[in-house]
Amino acid sequence: MNKLIVSPSPHIHSKTSTSSLMRDVVIAMLPAVLVSVLFYGWAELEVLLVSVVSCVGLEYLITRFMLKRPNTICDWSAAVTGVLLALNVPSTCPWWIIFTGAVIAIGVAKLTFGGLGQNLFNPAITARVFLLISFPTQMTAWSAPKAGLSLSQVISHAWTGTDFGPDAFTGATPLGLAKEGGSVHMDYLNSLFFNIGGSVGEISALALILGFAYLLVRRVIRPHITLSIWATVIIFSGIFWLINPDKFTDPVFNMLTGGMLLGSIFMATDYVTSPMSPKGGIVFGVGIGLLTMIIRYFGSYPEGMSFSILIMNATVPLLNGWFKSKKFGRA
Amino acid sequence: MKTFRIGGVHPNDSKISRNCAIEVLPLPQTVYISMAQHLGAPAKPVVAVGDRVKTGQVIAEPGGFISAFVHSSVTGTVKSIGPRKDLAGNNMTHVEILVEPDEWAEGIDLSDTLVTEIPSDRQFILDRIKNNGVVGLGGATFPAHVKLNPPPGKTAECLILNGAECEPYLTSDNRIMIEQSSRIIIGAAIMKQVLGGCRTVIGIEENKPEAIKAMSDALAELGKCGAAYSGIEVMVLKKKYPQGGEKQLIDAVMGRQVKSMGLPIDVGAVVQNVATSLAVYDAVQKNMPLITNTMTVTGNCLPADRQHNYLFRIGFPLSFVAEQAGGVPQEVSKIISGGPMMGKAVANLDACTVKGSSSLLYMTAEQTVRKQETNCIRCAKCADACPMGLEPFLLNKLARNGMYDALEENGVHDCIECGCCLYTCPANIPLLDTIRLAKGDVIKIIRSRAPKK
Repeated sequence: MNKLIVSPSPHIHSKTSTSSLMRDVVIAMLPAVLVSVLFYGWAELEVLLVSVVSCVGLEYLITRFMLKRPNTICDWSAAVTGVLLALNVPSTCPWWIIFTGAVIAIGVAKLTFGGLGQNLFNPAITARVFLLISFPTQMTAWSAPKAGLSLSQVISHAWTGTDFGPDAFTGATPLGLAKEGGSVHMDYLNSLFFNIGGSVGEISALALILGFAYLLVRRVIRPHITLSIWATVIIFSGIFWLINPDKFTDPVFNMLTGGMLLGSIFMATDYVTSPMSPKGGIVFGVGIGLLTMIIRYFGSYPEGMSFSILIMNATVPLLNGWFKSKKFGRA
Repeated sequence: MKTFRIGGVHPNDSKISRNCAIEVLPLPQTVYISMAQHLGAPAKPVVAVGDRVKTGQVIAEPGGFISAFVHSSVTGTVKSIGPRKDLAGNNMTHVEILVEPDEWAEGIDLSDTLVTEIPSDRQFILDRIKNNGVVGLGGATFPAHVKLNPPPGKTAECLILNGAECEPYLTSDNRIMIEQSSRIIIGAAIMKQVLGGCRTVIGIEENKPEAIKAMSDALAELGKCGAAYSGIEVMVLKKKYPQGGEKQLIDAVMGRQVKSMGLPIDVGAVVQNVATSLAVYDAVQKNMPLITNTMTVTGNCLPADRQHNYLFRIGFPLSFVAEQAGGVPQEVSKIISGGPMMGKAVANLDACTVKGSSSLLYMTAEQTVRKQETNCIRCAKCADACPMGLEPFLLNKLARNGMYDALEENGVHDCIECGCCLYTCPANIPLLDTIRLAKGDVIKIIRSRAPKK
């Protein structure tokens, strides 16, 4: 018998760890990653590689040499930010812009605040917003497959560069077109699988929803935040669309376009920057949904998801104080 | 299936010794009987060095209102009365007795006959429970006669027998429910009678099908023995820790929540463990004092044939129990008395069994050593797990900063120390360690503020 260890209860621990949770988030993003690689080809692989290597590398270098703290890359959180950042930029984005994004995400938004758990704003969102404002041209140079192209044509273009004529790939997203007053014809059924222009992580609704299901099944996140965003967007846009269908886009369009799904599933639900209680989560989600729709309908940007998440991130400490879980035996 | 409404976790139940029938431990050469066998004031010895005592004879009297009689578990000569280390390593008065063959004290019915008729005199029952030193055997060892005698103005609407045994590894309650079901149910009927014939529910977690069947069968059989056995039911509860927590069990069975700092009787509930019910049967029907109980010796590092459920007597050195079970395996790094969620780590294997002993649980370093604490990732898993609806992440921060007003405001004194928060924390933050310390301080502050009676 060894010397006996004496410590307070409990004496066992669940197998859940920060790294297992973060790894699950990466796994949940894999369907979206695979779809984006399939449709955007080598360029997208390069984006992913640059983004993940920059984020993880910066986390290592900064903690090791600047902060002189224990190395935290093994907790997978830098990898999560890396993949998210990659899904948030166009596949045509130059490597140095992505690297700048990584510096903002890991260096500024995360480590200056004290690292994982201490940051007020979601690192990937902060980087996306920074890049969107600083490099608007490069950040909106979408290469969206146009309606009329077959699946195999899109894929063959991505991987072999086959040309299908100058107009095969448009530079504007459906949201951008709608903002400019152009008529948008989307095939919703098709767009569930692919075909939605935008940053690479936004092309397949189904892949993102698959990731959401995985996160729920593995109990990584609660559904409150995501579902309350969706409900708010559907109700808000539903009302406006019913009042004036010519001026306002319909609820399905708003759900399937832009960063709606990517943001509501993977970014608004970030543990660190969302409220602790389910009630707080619902208020947080409603806030994001409302702000997004207000920006989309009345703002000058076509897309408002990132801004609304960032704004609502700032309210989290307040929401945590206002909305607490119900205590046992108290009214 | 019924369960409590807030929080909870699902650890692997690891009931490895569930099928091991109860074996009676032989007697050691010396027993050391602690005067702190119960919650409340330690008992006062009434024997002197050199006295000869019989098995079942009173050797100590209650040291206060919340206290209990202690009886000799063996026949023999008192060799010494003095301080000896308990399992945490703290000194407590023990009576040391050199063991001789059993000679039982007068008035104890040693026969095996099942006595199904329940005495009608309430005071007689309460006296027998008190005089035979019966305490709650679910963990807190609260004197049973106090709980069964609600203060004026409070009535019991439901007696809940706790057979949840929600702690992983422990199987002693499971075994007594299988092997001693009739005695447990008669004990329940006795307590029901004392409490004025209220509804009685025996709550058992779903992971003990044999116990559920044995108890239901015994209940059906005893139902023929008269009206005393009507209004008793077996209720299957969901497997979820801490289902057997007193407040959680009341919530699950009655759908009522005991208020903060309140007592179960405030919502009309009295909760007793199934092992307590067995002790009540022995005390009332057989005039047998509480000197035995059942404990599990288990652990993943023990082979299947070395898992045991033992009937022990109080005062057995734990090292003796371990020896009888084949010794402590080499790879054991921690021995726990009680379950892995709320049990105490044994610092001293020379400590002795007490009324409330429930197990020797062997853990290897790999199973039990805590991992390095990392940053809180604010996942709120601790808040989701807390069965009291508290926010452990917040309490931990407040505790580390000594912010007592905020701690009280956020209900730190409601913490039941079940361990769900620390169990679930992915960042390995020692949440319960800091909260437990702060809870002690805050309760002292609250008590010091209350007007003295």
